[in-house]
Amino acid sequence: MGRLAQAPQGSVASGYDELDAQLPGGVWPARALTELLLPRAGVGELRLLAPALAAVQAQGRDLLWLDPPAEPCAWALAELGVNVKQMVLVRSRQVLKTKAPPRPAAGAVNPAADVLWALEHALKSGHLGAALAWLPAHPGVRLPADALRRLQLAAQAHDGPVFLFRSDAERTRPSPAPLRLLLNCAGPDLLQVHLLKRRGPPLQQPLWLDLPPVLSDAALERAWQLQGDSASSEATSVEA
Amino acid sequence: MRWLAVHLPLLPLEAFCATLPLEQAAHPVALLRDHVVAQVNTAAAEHGLRPGMKRATALALAADLLLADSHARREAAALQGVVHAALAFTPAVTVHDAQTVLLEVEPSLRLFGGADALHHKLCAALQPLGHRVSTAAAPTARGAALLAQWQPPRMDLLKGPHTTQLDALQALLLQAPVWLLGPGREHWDALQGMGLRTLADLHALPRSGLARRFGGCLLEELDQALGLQPDPRTWAQLPERFDARMELFARVDRTELILHGAQVLLARLVAWAQARQARVAAFTLRMLHERARDVPEPFTDLRVELAEPSLDTAHLQMLLRERLGRLALLAPTMDLLLHCRHLVAAPAPNGELFPTRASESEGLTRLLERLRARLGEDQVQRVVAVADHRPERASRSLPVGAPVPEGLCDAPLQASTLQRDLPLLRPTWLLAEPLPLAAREWQPLMQGRPLDLLSGPERIETGWWDDAPVARDYYIAQDGSGALVWIYRHRLPVAADQPVWFLQGLFA
Repeated sequence: MGRLAQAPQGSVASGYDELDAQLPGGVWPARALTELLLPRAGVGELRLLAPALAAVQAQGRDLLWLDPPAEPCAWALAELGVNVKQMVLVRSRQVLKTKAPPRPAAGAVNPAADVLWALEHALKSGHLGAALAWLPAHPGVRLPADALRRLQLAAQAHDGPVFLFRSDAERTRPSPAPLRLLLNCAGPDLLQVHLLKRRGPPLQQPLWLDLPPVLSDAALERAWQLQGDSASSEATSVEA
Repeated sequence: MRWLAVHLPLLPLEAFCATLPLEQAAHPVALLRDHVVAQVNTAAAEHGLRPGMKRATALALAADLLLADSHARREAAALQGVVHAALAFTPAVTVHDAQTVLLEVEPSLRLFGGADALHHKLCAALQPLGHRVSTAAAPTARGAALLAQWQPPRMDLLKGPHTTQLDALQALLLQAPVWLLGPGREHWDALQGMGLRTLADLHALPRSGLARRFGGCLLEELDQALGLQPDPRTWAQLPERFDARMELFARVDRTELILHGAQVLLARLVAWAQARQARVAAFTLRMLHERARDVPEPFTDLRVELAEPSLDTAHLQMLLRERLGRLALLAPTMDLLLHCRHLVAAPAPNGELFPTRASESEGLTRLLERLRARLGEDQVQRVVAVADHRPERASRSLPVGAPVPEGLCDAPLQASTLQRDLPLLRPTWLLAEPLPLAAREWQPLMQGRPLDLLSGPERIETGWWDDAPVARDYYIAQDGSGALVWIYRHRLPVAADQPVWFLQGLFA
């Protein structure tokens, strides 16, 4: 079936003005991988992506989530504008039960095999709006050398953003993704974003983005107070 | 009347090659009849084998030659596949002999847009079955069959005056050799001895003498071919259910090796479904095992159900391949049976050029089918929202195709995007199992550091009517780095050493 005109627009803006100003083209890149490096789950990554995912769904297209670290909450996502009816979850069969995996035996199955296969074929099918994939983050586990390159090639057939979530230990290793962000929690409802790699001049300073609030104003003040107290107590303990 | 004849000169050989596993399909294969090579495939022809050679010569020319015998049931099954493919174009289809099928296409010409278009579509429909096809058209049935078998050189048998005018057909057929007629083959020596080589020679002789010498059949066939005598046929019937059987060449104990044979059966299934003008909704592949002491079951069934009925051979083959990849055979098998009775007569899928919402959702269904076939039915899930206060029940991920739970919220959840300044009530990540937290005095600890309770408590007490009552106080807490988590304190009495604080969600 030929596609003469690319009617749906693949690129979506992130919804955060400061971030859009720094992204090439002001949008999340379509037809390419975007790597998001996190220290652990729960730093604010879903609230960061929610406006873009809602925009993709508004175009009538679906999302694919591969191996998320926990269950997405339908009610919370609905508040953020993401409709769970236009979303599919895929769980891989290789679930690492223990926190620290044993040394992989020779010829052991690649723990990300299912995720990589499913993502590659989903991107090549061309029927997705956006894909979010969580790759295993255990330190002893390495992906096959050409896995990311194959995904980058497959992403070129996909008219939309592709988000790969990886551990922030990968920040020092090279990757073929044209956009790499390092996310950190800078406080309640505040996200710190380092643009490690992007098309164009590198950005030295990190960005601080205000996420949709979880806390009421009073609770937020108290949270900042507690953060300030703990920071000063750490400083005093260092001095002492 | 316009008859189209489809002749399959290599049908016995191709029916045999369908039973071979894929890696042997490129070997030279020769069909033996009366210990003499009758048909060869292209690989064997390259080695120098020709019809008429003796068996020993053939084996000497090609060391890895596979010798096949003609098997009537196998060839009849292959011919049935061709008959079903033809039945999609006209209801008037009849079998002429073991290798020829006749179609009466005059009433179908207008629907398919002319004789050329119909022939083109027929060849496209026959192509997945993997046969070499030679076709001819004529106003009489037997005439078309004879032309298809004869294939005079430098002649387009589908165009020309002989396809519609009887006298042009007669003029052409009279040049045909005599061995095309059945009785002509039987009496070939005698006819050759008399110097009768073409049908014109036969036609010129006095009829009573010919009938006395060679029997009435010869004259009858000649007259029917030339259109001088009527030629009534019995039409082929389309069965209600599809049942096809294939005996593989060698016993196989790995599922990949049966893929080639199963794909041929699938091509025949699609031809039958197209003749029924419906789409395949589900089919069953049964692999028979031989009786042995340690074989618990006589057969293994593989049932493939399609989320959306389809006629796409490639899609069915891909689903079957993925499912076979996950199946482990209990015992070696040699017989394959394909059964189908679930057809859906529904409008054809969207064939538009530009991607629309309907075609995208169809493409997504196919992608999900493929993922389920490869990874397993339970690995592809959807998130459902249920009207329940217990957070672990309020939002769950269930396999696609699993029965929906009670209290499912089918209406679209209100997205309060306009009210972004109001706080989120629920965390975006919910842990599947609440994680117990250590506690020091009254403060819960996460990874050794105390959590600061910022917001709460939100009391949830419900579920007394199920077996899962909950009584919890939920708090939003902040860990050392500032990330917000959702924890709860158990309010039901617990033993002294049981944990009281649990982590249930992360605000991502």
